[in-house]
Amino acid sequence: MNIANNPLLLDRLAASYALGTLRGGARRRLETYARQSPVVRTSVLLWQERMCAMTELAMPIAPSPNVWKRIENALMQEAQAQRLALGAQSRETFVQAALDKVRQALRWWQAGAMTAALATVAAVTIGLQTQRDLDGQVTQLAQQVKDSRQLQYVAVLSDDKSTASMLVTFDPAKNSLTLKRVGAYKEDTDKSLQLWALPASGSPQSIGVLSDSKVIRIAAPASQVITIPMLAISLEPKGGVPSATGPTGPVLFKGALLQAAE
Amino acid sequence: MNEPLLDTQLIVLIDRVAQRDAQALRQLYDATSSKLYAVAVRVVSNKEHAEDVLQDAYLNIWRIAADYRASLSPPMAWMGVVVRSRALDFLRKRKAERALGGVDIDDQFGDGLDSGEPTPLDTSIASEQAWALHECLRKIEAKPREVLTLAYFRDLSHGELATQLSLPLGTVKTWIRRSLEQLRSCMGKFA
Repeated sequence: MNIANNPLLLDRLAASYALGTLRGGARRRLETYARQSPVVRTSVLLWQERMCAMTELAMPIAPSPNVWKRIENALMQEAQAQRLALGAQSRETFVQAALDKVRQALRWWQAGAMTAALATVAAVTIGLQTQRDLDGQVTQLAQQVKDSRQLQYVAVLSDDKSTASMLVTFDPAKNSLTLKRVGAYKEDTDKSLQLWALPASGSPQSIGVLSDSKVIRIAAPASQVITIPMLAISLEPKGGVPSATGPTGPVLFKGALLQAAE
Repeated sequence: MNEPLLDTQLIVLIDRVAQRDAQALRQLYDATSSKLYAVAVRVVSNKEHAEDVLQDAYLNIWRIAADYRASLSPPMAWMGVVVRSRALDFLRKRKAERALGGVDIDDQFGDGLDSGEPTPLDTSIASEQAWALHECLRKIEAKPREVLTLAYFRDLSHGELATQLSLPLGTVKTWIRRSLEQLRSCMGKFA
């Protein structure tokens, strides 16, 4: 049967196609006809156009003013990322340069540290393709690793699928731990992430509760940090739990604290 | 919402957005957000989720505004399609998450058909096509019309409509067939 010669049937089919209620084999058949016949195609396009006018008829509802603020923030982030990207000759050479710097710096590192850090860089690089605002992070990361002779302690905390989620650096001169979120994880507003030191023996000790910002600095004495082999982050009620209690929620990320060679 | 803008004004704004004019995006947002928010609410039936969809949609409009000229559609219809497809993506993602058992069912489609209220229609900044559709939808009985518009907004099959609205499948099929038939012959007069 040639539906192009049956205007009434074609009109019916095109209307229910555009509405979305024509399903399964009938839908696919109409699509095939539409590709072959301009008459069928025109009818389908006309009905799609007619149906889409339905979105124009909804009674207006004012959205919360926060929506525009969020859009504005996202635009600002995008503009910032673009400025950074423009500074480099091109995206590719930019990323390549960052990776080269990381590789150079890594020569001083233990093999384990290298694997972990490269995994982070790889994760960040992959993320870069979809999320421009990570551009700045690659630069910072490269810079940090380049300066790692001063940083001396680094950990990449990953989830159970080995996805890097948090980059930790410790500066013993300043007794300062810096955590940088590199994954997409975001805790709910009624929860906090808490950082724990996992000593070789004994129970976990709380180092601090993480704010929800992208980069978090926590003061921690070198004596507490440099002797621990592992760091972990657990999900806790807002504000965290006392150190003596130990983690009460699931451990989301963990990783070895690695010392860069002198 | 501010004074409704004419299509020609909206088109100028979209062109300026295509040239990375953030001020124009703000004006476009002021002129159209309550309309598009209503579309998002209609699809996802949850105000918070609809706000996420709206944000996503305007950022998408920011990115793809240059494509508008090629679409040949009236500006509100084009933006409506952007919002609807973003909202449907949102529903699909949530459905997938639920299927994995990750998310509680916190917001099943709330609006049944008990009220019998006609779908509120608004033509303040509608295209000619929308005006014709409005005139034709007005002639359809309230409940069948509601089922018809829900089918479109949420991209639902007969079976899905029956489940979500707790209506017998036969009723849904009959209403859709009749109302679509009315719509079809009425729209034919406007062509």
